[in-house]
Amino acid sequence: MQSEKKITFLDRLRTMRETEFGAFLPVLFALAAIWGYFGFILPLHDLITGEAESFRAIFLSPRNIYNLFMQSAVIAALAVGITVVLLLGEIDLSAAATAGVCAALLGVLVLSGVPGFLACLIVIFVGIIMGAAQGLLVAYVGIPSFVVTLAGLLGYQGLMQKILPTGNLNVGDPFVRSIARLLIPDMWGLFLALVVFVLFALTTIRKQVQRKEKGLELDNKLTVWFQIIVFGIILISAVLTLNAYRSLPLLLVLLIAFTALLDWITRSTPYGRSLFAVGGNSESARRVGMKIKRIRVSAFAIVGLMAAIGGIFGASRYGSVSYTAFAGGSLLLEAIGAAVIGGTSLFGGRGSVWNAILGALVIGSLGNGLDLSGASAADKLMVSGAILLLAVAIDALSRNSAGGR
Amino acid sequence: MTSKKHLVGQEAPPAHLVVRGIDKSFGGLQALREADFEVARGEVMALVGDNGAGKSTLMKVLAGAYSADAGSFFLDGNSVSIKSPNDASDLGIQIVYQDLALCENLDVAANLSLGAEPVKAGWNFLPHFLRPIDNLEMESKANKAIKRLQVRTLHSVRAKVSGLSGGQRQAIAIARAVGTESSVVMLDEPTAALGVAQTYQVLQVVKRLRDTNHAVVYISHNMQDIFDISDRITVLRHGQNVATYITSKTTPDEVVMAMTKGIDKNSSGSI
Repeated sequence: MQSEKKITFLDRLRTMRETEFGAFLPVLFALAAIWGYFGFILPLHDLITGEAESFRAIFLSPRNIYNLFMQSAVIAALAVGITVVLLLGEIDLSAAATAGVCAALLGVLVLSGVPGFLACLIVIFVGIIMGAAQGLLVAYVGIPSFVVTLAGLLGYQGLMQKILPTGNLNVGDPFVRSIARLLIPDMWGLFLALVVFVLFALTTIRKQVQRKEKGLELDNKLTVWFQIIVFGIILISAVLTLNAYRSLPLLLVLLIAFTALLDWITRSTPYGRSLFAVGGNSESARRVGMKIKRIRVSAFAIVGLMAAIGGIFGASRYGSVSYTAFAGGSLLLEAIGAAVIGGTSLFGGRGSVWNAILGALVIGSLGNGLDLSGASAADKLMVSGAILLLAVAIDALSRNSAGGR
Repeated sequence: MTSKKHLVGQEAPPAHLVVRGIDKSFGGLQALREADFEVARGEVMALVGDNGAGKSTLMKVLAGAYSADAGSFFLDGNSVSIKSPNDASDLGIQIVYQDLALCENLDVAANLSLGAEPVKAGWNFLPHFLRPIDNLEMESKANKAIKRLQVRTLHSVRAKVSGLSGGQRQAIAIARAVGTESSVVMLDEPTAALGVAQTYQVLQVVKRLRDTNHAVVYISHNMQDIFDISDRITVLRHGQNVATYITSKTTPDEVVMAMTKGIDKNSSGSI
């Protein structure tokens, strides 16, 4: 009896994760659990045990949420890129080092008088080249991506040290700084959110109407409305929370815009479909005439692009570039962890870039919450490890039950 | 053309795809020796032979996966050349390999359109691979393909392939091969891994293919399936064809005998 129950639970998990929206739910639940714990249960516990005199809702205060979003933005940018190669069943260990090289180059360029905008474009171009170079080695020479990008990780770390002999450089360029500093006025931010929400609702409903016209099978009405309402609540409340502290920062708008673009490319275009096909069954993709090698190279180029953007975000937010903030620190593992916690499969063929953003928030919230509750760095590492393991275990289990027939 | 008469006799339908004198060797091993083969529209031609008789090699030569050392190809009487898989698919020759090559992580509709996704009109400023896929068109196409082959057990074309049974997967793979305007469909051991009910389901699909005027090449070891489904049977042995039988006029024993021992050239068993 017990084993039967287990199977139905896993089956349910699998079917749920296969729907477009259902794939978000596990990571949303994880996020809700972490926020509930740090924002509610822990302060309540402190209050009852007398450790605190009042209910300290620091974690869920607008100020902390704002910082949380900003802290997670660099991880999220890298995780979004890494998701694209994970879809192919490859991995990129060099993303953080690439981001480091790009940020260092950006710092050096603006210091030598290159205008900020131009410097950003150059750095993005360099990031794409760095990613594509690794992709060429993976696709055309046939070296496993793990090895190529491990070499890339070491090499690019060295390169970053070459560019920054002191290991630290301040970035004062007004254009670069403005990415993190520029705030969208409260009303405009809210207006933007409303426009996005209305567009989302309209396209969802329009799709349903078109399905009806063509006599295709319809989505469950309840799910459709649930999707629209949940999307609206999350969007509007996020903007309201940010407005309550400062305002919607340009950096987050850019991050969301890039992610939306990549989401559209990966899920709605023949190119994106080929990413999923290669990740699911590369032999099948080859037989229908897909250019697998080019697809591999392009995916690594996309990681390079997102790494460069992450580097620019980081440089902009910290106002400086340091070796430890990028290449030498935990950024890489956090970014891969974010992608996997978001529900993107390490085995390829399943995942979404939006999930990477949510995964980055989970990682960011854990770090932030543990910091606030005074946990040591050792605790942080161990808890992050446990969460990552849990996410991969869910992935492996849902895969087994799918392939086990 | 005496060999043709020897092979098909008077009762055979006019052939759609004909190959003559195919040689293929791998290093020192001669896999095919002057093999002849033909299949007509609206018939199921079974291709049988012991292991190593050259069935798979012949099939891969027809599909362009191997290029023949010698031999000629005719489609509806016109001489054609098949040097690559693209040549074969341009001529409407499709093959369903034993491993099916479906993407389990994608749904049925996506698998059916894989590599040829319909895109929405009005996005011409983008390169083709970045135009939005017309999902609704893709689903309608998939629904039509499924309906044409009468795969009754499949409830939704939006189901992931990972959740389908072996028979359903085989049907999807066949539907994909047929969907691309093909006239010749080759099936490699389509029922090898299936149970009774699913085998029945696949055989129904194969019959539908015949009824829709496709030329079907059916490779199998299963005599029961072959006698259930095929119109004619070509027997290969040691890379040569031994005989071609009309299924209704032969017996499994006779076919097995031809597969294992070959037949006397003057025997009356062959038509």
